[in-house]
Parts: sequence; structure tokens; C-alpha cells
Amino acid sequence: MTGTAEGDELAVSARWIEALDRQSVIMMAIFARAGFEPVAPAVIQPADVFLDLIGEDLRGRTYVFSDPSGAELCLRPDLTIPACRLYLARHGAEAPASRFAYNGVVFRYQPTGGNLVRPREFRQAGIESFAADDPGRADAEILALSVEAVRAAGLRAFKLRVGDLGIFDALLEAVEMPDRWRVRLRHHFRHPDAFRRQLRHIVQPNTAGLEIPDELLRRLTAADENTAIAEIEAYCAAHDLTITGTRTLEEIAAHLKGIGEDLQERPLSKEAAGLIDAYLRVEAPARAAMAQIRSLTSAAGIDVSAALDAYEARIALAAQEGIEMGDAHFSASFGRAFAYYTGFVFEITSSALGDTTPIGGGGRYDTLMETISGAGRVPAVGAAIHSERLLLAVRGGRP
Amino acid sequence: MSDAQSDRLVLAVPSKGRLMDDTLGLFAKAGLTIRKVGNERGYRGEVAEVPAIEVAFISASEIAHAIRDGKVHLGVTGEDLLRETIPDMEAKAQILAPLGFGHADVIVAVPNFWIDVVSMADLEEAAVLYRRRHGTRMRVATKYMGLTRRFFAGHRFDAAVKTGAAVTMYRIVESLGATEGAPAAGTAELIVDITSTGSTLKANGLRILADGVILKSQANLVLSRTASWSPQQSRLRDDIVRALGA
Repeated sequence: MTGTAEGDELAVSARWIEALDRQSVIMMAIFARAGFEPVAPAVIQPADVFLDLIGEDLRGRTYVFSDPSGAELCLRPDLTIPACRLYLARHGAEAPASRFAYNGVVFRYQPTGGNLVRPREFRQAGIESFAADDPGRADAEILALSVEAVRAAGLRAFKLRVGDLGIFDALLEAVEMPDRWRVRLRHHFRHPDAFRRQLRHIVQPNTAGLEIPDELLRRLTAADENTAIAEIEAYCAAHDLTITGTRTLEEIAAHLKGIGEDLQERPLSKEAAGLIDAYLRVEAPARAAMAQIRSLTSAAGIDVSAALDAYEARIALAAQEGIEMGDAHFSASFGRAFAYYTGFVFEITSSALGDTTPIGGGGRYDTLMETISGAGRVPAVGAAIHSERLLLAVRGGRP
Repeated sequence: MSDAQSDRLVLAVPSKGRLMDDTLGLFAKAGLTIRKVGNERGYRGEVAEVPAIEVAFISASEIAHAIRDGKVHLGVTGEDLLRETIPDMEAKAQILAPLGFGHADVIVAVPNFWIDVVSMADLEEAAVLYRRRHGTRMRVATKYMGLTRRFFAGHRFDAAVKTGAAVTMYRIVESLGATEGAPAAGTAELIVDITSTGSTLKANGLRILADGVILKSQANLVLSRTASWSPQQSRLRDDIVRALGA
């Protein structure tokens, strides 16, 4: 498996494609039988939606181009966002329950050349469930169908890894702190280094590190918005600073107020920071992990039982669907790296390809649709199987 | 350019401007007189003292591509262009020597009235608030899309630092000229660009972030690891390096 573009072309032999097609027919039949409507979103998508949603990490791996009219377009780097756009186009402002299944090619630039497990074009077979009445049941169903699909394709041994970003969210809500700290911790959650720095900062606030005088920062912190804006304007005029661009004085005033308040705020207790840190280190079989988290939080006098109950209900529902999720590996940190997940997350790995090359995975993303549409929230959960990897794993790692 | 197969060493030299003049000057001082062959506007040249060296005059950014693809053996180009063009630079190229000219810093600059934003960490905070208020990501105008992505992801090109504060809530808008005017024009909120004296930034009401120097770049003599190297070509390389005192 060398890192060359030729690797891609070798992989795309007619027989390989036929085998992939056979595999996808098997998986799509399972999805359709479960009541998921087969859909085929467009391969070419407007670039804007993706660039604003997924950020530069994935953009750097997306084929973006202009058409002759000058419109910025891209080859879809995944199928979840195109499926969401299809749902929005069909239903507009209503949010009826709806379930889609798809199978199609996606495209990702590989900076050092593609190879068999990281190809620049590959097929995703997936399912998305929108606005289901019972989110826990929808989570369990998506997981069960994903497992059923890879089994039906011939994958005998695999590992399941699960996480739940909802528990972390509940933990942040339950620990006493100003809301702006929650916003920041939630944002930095996806970047472990930055998250640790944030946590340290609110336990041990240091200086603001700004160039404006401390005394001005104190005044701005105490002032109402209009006074603060006038003060900043005067400061800019006195220091020959040009007010320009789309970012406003209101935003600067609000940010400075937050910085000033941080310096005056009672720092987050070491115990609370320790609890957050200890939670993120939980790694255990899914059922045992819940017991660990219950004892961690109750020792700290923190109540996250609603989130944990939902988690355990999901395990029970998965069992009804025939998945023994209690033995799956739970990792509290798992799901941090993904751009839009908000709750339950899972991935399927094989010994043939190793733990860092998942064959499939998915999770709950309750805020993505409103970010795309700017309209109401549509809770959703979905999963996608990386078809090429699945076929490789089924064949023991060889094409 | 096509002669990398023969036994001559192909040396790529910037085809215009200060960078070309400084390169020719430096080689001349080292006793290597580079001159064009045939037409004054042509792109082929030679070294008067060493016939086995073939000179290709091409633009500095094309030199980075040629080094990456092994179309030339050696080249003179900026580290900014090398790192921008070749994500896995260490695997494909080797910087033999900095040449002491063509100095330019690749920097992150914001409007100077952003008194709440001094560091990259402040920028991320401001960007998160910006997204909440405007519903869109902050836009960074640049022609250095690769360098920007890696630096904003926390990567540091300074080997002594390695990682730093990451900025994630942004998107790049590609800018092919007059980047420093983008914030005032309303086409981006901040920029990543090169600067040598900082006066253009100042004139446009921009300020470099305290930890916003992405790369202190200068012209370098660079070797292509992907070109094929015969014993004679390797000897010629050693001769050039020795002559330059590098």
C-alpha cells in the first residue's frame, strides 16, 4: 500500500468495482428492508455550505472548483450534508420524521497521494434518520443496521467503539460556572490541547495579555454596552486605529467584557476541573463505564443522571435490536475529533485494518440541520460504511 | 528543464526581479557566472565556468513545483513557496543553504482596532463569537492556503516550538493580489500574507498578531530529492555548494 496516485488506479480494476457493487446491493437491501428510502444526492454540491460547516480541516481535503458561470462548487466529501440538503429541499420548514439510505462515491484529496485505505475517491453506504420520535431508539436502530450491514457483507470479527458527547454536555451544564466558559469549553472540546489550556485558564486566570491599559479594561467590563462602545471608539481615535471591516465595535466590547469578567470571576474550583478531566479519561466497556461515571459524579455532588439514563436506555434498546453494546469499548473522549456530532457516536474497526482505520461509524448530530438551513432544529442520527475498507477487511486486508 | 535525465545538472534560477538579480550576483561573487543562452527573454542559461551545469530561468513559485517533481536538481526559491507547494517538504526537498536575501515573513494580521485580539488564542475566541453573531465563519484572505491551514491547525514551522494555539472557526478566501486590502474591502476579516518592512500592513490599518509569524522566509539553495542524481551531478552539486561557501 504505497502512497502513490497509481495506488488508486490499481485499486480501480473492474473486478474490484464489481465486488464493491455486489457488497453495496447487499447493504442497501438491508437498509431498504428496514424502511429507509433510497436517495441519490448530487455528486456536485455548492462549496459554500461545506466550507462554512466543516471548516478548513476537511476543506483542505475537498475538491473545490468553479464552473463556467463562476459558481464555487465541490465534489461531495461526504454524503451526510448532501442528504440533509435533500431533506431540507423536500420538506422546507416542516420537520417530519424521515429516513434516507444512500450509496455513492465521495471524494477526498490526499495530500501525499491516495492508497487503498485512504483513497481519494471511495464509496459510502449510509443511513440517516431525521426527526425520529424516540431519539434513543433511532440511535440504537442506526447502530444495529450498520452492524447488520457489515456482517451481511461478510465481516465476521469486528470491534465496536462508542461514546456519548451528550454526557459531556450534561456535565458542563451541571458544573457551576459562567455560561461563557461553557461556550468556550464546548468549542475547544474538539481540540484536546486547546481544551486543556482553557481549563487551566479558568482555574488559574492569569493576566489578560492585552495591550490596552488594565484600568481601561476594568472600566469597559463595568460599563453598559453603549458606554463601552463609545470608550473603545475614543481609544481607537486617540491611537490612530482604523475601524474597518465587518467585525463591529459591539463584538469587541462584548469580547473585552468577557475577558475582564474572567479576571474578576471566582476561578473554577480545582475539584470541578478535576472532575471534567477525570470524566474525559474514562475508558472501559460500555456498561462498566456508566458505573464509573455515576460514582465519579455523585462523589462530586454533580447530577448528570438524565444523560446517563438515556445512555443506559440506548444500551437496552440496542440489545433488543440484537447488539450487545454493553461490551463495546466506551471512550469519553471519543467523538471529539468529528465536526458536527452532538450525542451518541460509534465506530466499527477490524483487526485486518487496525484501530485507526475505521470501516464505518456514525452518530447523532442534532444541530447540523439548523446550521445549514438557518431555520429550526431537526434532530438527526446517521452512519456511513466506507465500502472499500469494508471489502478489504472482509478479504483480510488484501484487495 | 527536461535534461534531468542527461548527465548535466539542472539549476533553476528565478526569472525576474530582485530575486533574480540577487541570485545572479551571489553566484557571480562565488565565481559562477550565470548568463542567458540565446534570446535575452529566453528561459535557458548556462554557467560560463562550468559547461556541465544547465540553468533554467523560471518563476520562483514554478521552481518549487519543479523541485517537488524532480524536474530540476537544484533551485533558488523562498522557503514560503517551498512549504506552501510541498506539504511533505522534508521528503521531497532539502534546504542546502539560506542565501541571505529575499527576506519576507509570512504573517497573520488583523485590523489594528481589534484591541481584544493580540494572540492566536484571542483570535479563536473572537472567531467563535463572530460565528455566533454573524452566522458565518471569519474569512482569512491569503494566497498561502496550505501554510494557513497548517498554522491555524496548531502546527508551527519553527522546530523549537512545534505546536501552538489553534484557530478553527474560520474559512479561507483565496486572494491572488492586494491581499492587505481585503479587510477594508469587506471581502475578508483578516489576512495571511508576506511582509518585509510592515509598512504596507500599517498603511492598511493592519497589525501582526504577537504569535502570528508563520514563517521567517528567505531565498534558499534547495535540492530536489525526487530528481535522479548521477555521480557527476552529485559532484557538481558539491562544487556549487562549496563555491557559495554554504
